[in-house]
Amino acid sequence: PSALSFELLGKCSVTKARAATLHLPHGPVPLPIFMPVATQASLKGLTPEQLEKQGCRLCLNNTYHLGLKPGQATLDAIGGAHRFQSWPHNLLTDGDSFQMVSLLKLAQVTEEGVRFLSPHDGSPMLLTPEHSISLQNSIGSDIMMQLDDVIVTTSPDLARMKEAMERSVRWLDRCIQAHKYPERQNLFCIIQGGLDLDLRRECTAEMVARDTPGIAIGGLSGGEAKDEYCKVVDTCTGLLPEKKPRYVMGVGYPEDLVVSVALGADMFDCVWPTRTARFGNAITSRGVLNLRNAVYSTDFGPIEEGCQCTCCRPPEDGGLGITRAYVYHTTAKETAGAHLLTMHNVHYQLNLMRLVREAILEDRYPAFLRSFFAKLYDDKSKYPEWAVGALKGVGVDLLSD
Amino acid sequence: MSQGRPTPEVSQVPREMVDFEVLKTTGARAPRLGRFTLGGRKPILTPAFLGNTSRGVIPHMSPDNFGRYAGSNGVYVALEDFVEKHPEKTPPVFEYNVPEPLRRFAALPQDTPLVLGARRTPPIPTPATHTNTAISLLTSVGYKSVSSEYYAAAARKLRPDVVVGMADIPFGQATISIKRKDKMSDRTEAWLRHLVTTRNTMAVAPGEPRFDIFAPILPIERDLQSWYLEHLLDDMVDSISGLAIYDAFLLDDLPDALHHLPRLSLHVPASPHELLRQVSLGMDLLTVPFISSATDAGIAFDFTFPPPETPKSSVRQTLGIDMWHAEHARAVTPLSKGCQCYACTKHHRAYIQHLLSAKEMLGWFLIQVHNHAVVESFFTSLRTSIDAGTFDAHVATFEAYYEPQLPEKTGQAPRARGYHFRSEEHAKKEKKNPKRWNGELGGKGKAVLEGAHGQQPEKKQEMMHVIDDEALIDLVGIEHGAEAVHVEDLKIEDDVKG
Ligand SMILES: [Zn+2]
Ligand SMILES: [Zn+2]
Repeated sequence: PSALSFELLGKCSVTKARAATLHLPHGPVPLPIFMPVATQASLKGLTPEQLEKQGCRLCLNNTYHLGLKPGQATLDAIGGAHRFQSWPHNLLTDGDSFQMVSLLKLAQVTEEGVRFLSPHDGSPMLLTPEHSISLQNSIGSDIMMQLDDVIVTTSPDLARMKEAMERSVRWLDRCIQAHKYPERQNLFCIIQGGLDLDLRRECTAEMVARDTPGIAIGGLSGGEAKDEYCKVVDTCTGLLPEKKPRYVMGVGYPEDLVVSVALGADMFDCVWPTRTARFGNAITSRGVLNLRNAVYSTDFGPIEEGCQCTCCRPPEDGGLGITRAYVYHTTAKETAGAHLLTMHNVHYQLNLMRLVREAILEDRYPAFLRSFFAKLYDDKSKYPEWAVGALKGVGVDLLSD
Repeated sequence: MSQGRPTPEVSQVPREMVDFEVLKTTGARAPRLGRFTLGGRKPILTPAFLGNTSRGVIPHMSPDNFGRYAGSNGVYVALEDFVEKHPEKTPPVFEYNVPEPLRRFAALPQDTPLVLGARRTPPIPTPATHTNTAISLLTSVGYKSVSSEYYAAAARKLRPDVVVGMADIPFGQATISIKRKDKMSDRTEAWLRHLVTTRNTMAVAPGEPRFDIFAPILPIERDLQSWYLEHLLDDMVDSISGLAIYDAFLLDDLPDALHHLPRLSLHVPASPHELLRQVSLGMDLLTVPFISSATDAGIAFDFTFPPPETPKSSVRQTLGIDMWHAEHARAVTPLSKGCQCYACTKHHRAYIQHLLSAKEMLGWFLIQVHNHAVVESFFTSLRTSIDAGTFDAHVATFEAYYEPQLPEKTGQAPRARGYHFRSEEHAKKEKKNPKRWNGELGGKGKAVLEGAHGQQPEKKQEMMHVIDDEALIDLVGIEHGAEAVHVEDLKIEDDVKG
């Protein structure tokens, strides 16, 4: 059973890029999509309305965080995370194993689950697939993620990697078993296997056989070389059914997004755009600007010319007409400075994916990719090799004219 | 739901001098009702309060949310928030070449009256002494002295609606000698005269507004500023549009010939009771810094004027709720029953309590919106009460019903902002932003911030980012590479109920 429908609308005739509409319990969302991360049921000071105004209809919450605060009993009493945070649109909850294992070095994985000490008070905790699903059922997320066993992709221990991959498959079975509401919440599996393509293939086959409504590729964005990352994504998408959404977890730099879409991925999330806003970094099509730099103190242009976010739009068009100089003036001094850049950065990411989708639908994605990289780097010699290589693999030569 | 204001229409009508009409008064030293009008801006029914800004924003409120939810009757902005330390550096906002640079820069709504003063309210005392021509300001990077010429030039450039004349007040000084008080009034007079001249000789395009001037009334006895007041009446009264009053109790001594002018209070009130006292003395426009300080402390106001008619209780009611308390964690109720603010109509206590304890910025925003709404409706009802002639009686019931002070602060404020560090409490040698749990586990090592979901290591300098996210700081606290600790009898907190 599934609580979504995947409507494929177009495919790039050159690359593996796809455009689709994903119909979820809280409304349709366009694919490809970037999902902002509201870890603790709040996105860096923005109200749900401000997030909505930047175009967001699907964002992330973190299962483990919500399990700690406000806790399952409160979530049950209030009726789930949508009501808890007054978010009328879709939510995806992250299964958290990645954080637990790579972040908490004291965490210990057994067949039963992940044992660790609460970072809040040091008390012992155990997270099992059943518990993770029970929490996500209480949260009521539109998309739930299985608990998986993740180790950093760069780990040299192939035996441990294989064990983790196989355990993730067994844990998926336990998650499916424990899932109480498959007719209203979608459980996604997560493909593991590190950077070993054979393990990834094996895992993909096992996961696909379990027929979850959507499929995630996990364990990446942990510091592996970008070309290795691309090989994993390319290999997995090549084995996935066409009519299901494909989510690459933890990816969010603009160039990573456009390349991953060309490799056949549909969904992405990353804390970077919103976190980096707090340090005064604005994402633009010409790269990241650190607006705390004094050169911006008298720059009265918008954060990005032509941007349609609440901040950049001029007052005549109902926006705020915020200047770079004003961001410089408030950033790191007033929380509102962070709110402003957060709105801009979220809008940038969502708008980028909107442009990507339009290009795919009009079957001009290769041209889009060329102009994207031409804007981001002033010279072809500066294009990242991994991106050039990965795109060449799907038929787009960025360096040709 | 949202109390969205309609998009303000940009008025094409040139702005005249402030128009202040006293609608009702029962004599001197009595509350009065008025209408304060600046051309092109939303008229203000007085008594009312101005939003108190920091660096051009109401703390925790981005400008779009201010326009959408705060419904404030105008804002007070301090020049010191825009001045850079180095004398050779021109404040960036001075270089913004648009018709109303300050308003545009801070993205304030077109219909919001904008009042500019030299210092924040309350001002943080500066160590430098004032001179005959200059006062000392606190900028974001240190102290700087600013002359009356500089101030007048800033006013001319920034084009706020109202400029409060620069006053020579040695803030933070416990006792002030008579000689010093003489100087205060002499300097303040000279500086005001200079501001008036600057404004009156300002070249503007036909129909373009200049700015209005509010004359400061010093917090010293009337006879010690009598020369200043006489000169104010003799040759400046036609050029000023209002008074900025630093000590509300001196309203007693105000010359009759100044009674027609609107009175802006820069006398810092500590509680709603003190607001009522200032209003009862005839104040028209007030600044209420305790709104933001309560918000920072996580205190949501819970008072109405007059107080609700409930069976008399011998205990006085609290003026605010401490939202840090865990007792709110499951309360699906608004901050205040019946409050129509965004926070109360769209969210509930459980969420707000969660946001505070998770150190999420949205928590402070929601309390800030609510606290502004409570003070807004406090003023609305006190105007009604003055109109109905019940003000004094209502003040008495208010005082009997509520505790005299806002509740003690218990929670942690958001990360201290620059100006917080320099307050008087700064003398205490405490860590500015202490962490909670120090991350030590059984004596093992310090917190080490390591990779997290979504972090992508990157060599490019501008792409690198430290993980300092409050949420993640909570998640870390475990030494990198420490050997696994075997923990038996593990339990998840939520398992208990199963
Ligand atoms: Zn923007
Ligand atoms: Zn409220």
